[in-house]
Amino acid sequence: MTGVQIWTRLKTNRGGLAGLSILVVFLLLALGVWLGWLGQDWSRAPGGRWEPAGSRFWFGTNVVGQDIFQRSMYSVRTAFEIGLLVSLVSTLLGAALGALAGWYHRSWVDRSILWLKGVLDSIPFYLFVAAVAFALEGYPWAMHVAMIATFWTSTARLVRAEVMKIKGREFVLAARAIGLPDGLTLQRHVLPNTSHILLVQASLSFVAAIKTEVVLSFLGLGVKDGVSWGLMLAESTQEVLAGHFNNFLAATLMLFTLLLGFNLLVDALQDAFDPKQVTR
Amino acid sequence: MNRPTLSVRDLVVVVHGREGSRRIVDGVGFDLAPAKVLGLVGESGSGKSTIAKALMGLLQAGLCTVQAGRMTLGQTNLAALTEKGWQKLRGREMSMIFQEPLTCLDPVFTVGQQLVAVLRRHRHLSRREARDAAAHLLGTIGFADALDLLASYPHQLSGGMRQRIMLAMAMGCDPAVLIADEPTSALDVTTQAQVLMQLTALGRERQTAILLITHDLGVVAQYCDHALVIREGKIVEAAPVRKLFEAPTHPYTRSLLAAVPTIRARRHRGSPRTLADQL
Repeated sequence: MTGVQIWTRLKTNRGGLAGLSILVVFLLLALGVWLGWLGQDWSRAPGGRWEPAGSRFWFGTNVVGQDIFQRSMYSVRTAFEIGLLVSLVSTLLGAALGALAGWYHRSWVDRSILWLKGVLDSIPFYLFVAAVAFALEGYPWAMHVAMIATFWTSTARLVRAEVMKIKGREFVLAARAIGLPDGLTLQRHVLPNTSHILLVQASLSFVAAIKTEVVLSFLGLGVKDGVSWGLMLAESTQEVLAGHFNNFLAATLMLFTLLLGFNLLVDALQDAFDPKQVTR
Repeated sequence: MNRPTLSVRDLVVVVHGREGSRRIVDGVGFDLAPAKVLGLVGESGSGKSTIAKALMGLLQAGLCTVQAGRMTLGQTNLAALTEKGWQKLRGREMSMIFQEPLTCLDPVFTVGQQLVAVLRRHRHLSRREARDAAAHLLGTIGFADALDLLASYPHQLSGGMRQRIMLAMAMGCDPAVLIADEPTSALDVTTQAQVLMQLTALGRERQTAILLITHDLGVVAQYCDHALVIREGKIVEAAPVRKLFEAPTHPYTRSLLAAVPTIRARRHRGSPRTLADQL
């Protein structure tokens, strides 16, 4: 399956295109923050407490007078760093380890990977993240490391089972019978047949990473220097009680839109990757 | 074209089970000459496919081992090959096609991508050359719309077409030996005839030695030059096909031949006897 084919098929899917445009807009916003054009004043407090939305502060201000628009823009960058990084790395890691375990089923490779997966899965997640966060204190990527270290296991489990299934199919034997080495068979014929799992897992872990960040930031284990939708939500717990919804709405709607776009795109990608959907 | 002969002597394959080891192929020997079709006939579980896999070095490691015997292809001693050596040999010198054309092609790639990959691997062609070669190859197998076919996915094709594409893939690098493991058992009778005709015609044309594994005596009678009858891992009879059908010497061969139902048999006995009845 080539990129051109996938694009021609994706083009016909309206939901997918909508998702792609949402994602592109968010990506541009994140790029703006990275390049220093947007959201740089997220920590300054130029306004008064709880100013309403208007021409000066588009989304109003929070309890200490910080501009909510600036903060939600900066959070786009945080979300991308966490969501994209964690979902990509953990899915790839899970795919690689799961494929190895399934391919070398019942060998020492399989047993060691399963053992590692079992150990990681048996530690309560937030306890593990807290431990990593304390162990890597002062290191800004501690949360990412902790999430990647735990998220890969479910992908690995699914990919392992799928690889074991595909390994027994005749086209794998046929690939060997025409002289393809083991490693290449795994890479060219077995892994592409797991793409549907990888796409779903990537989208699920993207969502899970951002949601986990919200929880961790709320607990004070998350984003250290910077701001995120999670931190904004944590702040807003007090504001909502006082009847001020700007912070809460900004964070939730941004999060919702990004996740919606991402899910729409992945859904469409899954169809585009599926050869059975080709109609001629 | 001077093609090497595949020669097998005293082949023993042992399967290691929980209750000890068992010989599932026991002392099999034969020669496979260029442009000839050798039929390997036997019932299910008689060791036909195991022989094929042993010849290709495809036996599942740790489960089965080739214990004795000599297998040579021309000057090459197959028994001494390393996995690397096998990889060079498979697809280039020896090819194999399998029983299930439905699952032999990778569902996520087009037929063209898979054919091109094989051709490029063994013949060191550029992408464009390999594409042309693939289209040409499909032409020789009798497909008129080769370009259309190259762009299709396996699920868009019928079983017969897929098996012919497997045949094209296996013959792509002009192997000296082609092993066909029940290539038509999953196909209907007319498609079966078409595929087997192409298989044997290609073999004659390109001087390929063919080992045709089947449980269908009709197929043997029609397409093979020589036949081996195998039972429980042992060859019970080896003869030219004509002789096998006219004067079978071994009782098992006779019972196999008698098990083919005929109209006359039904009139006499009501229903054809099963093989088990006769043994």
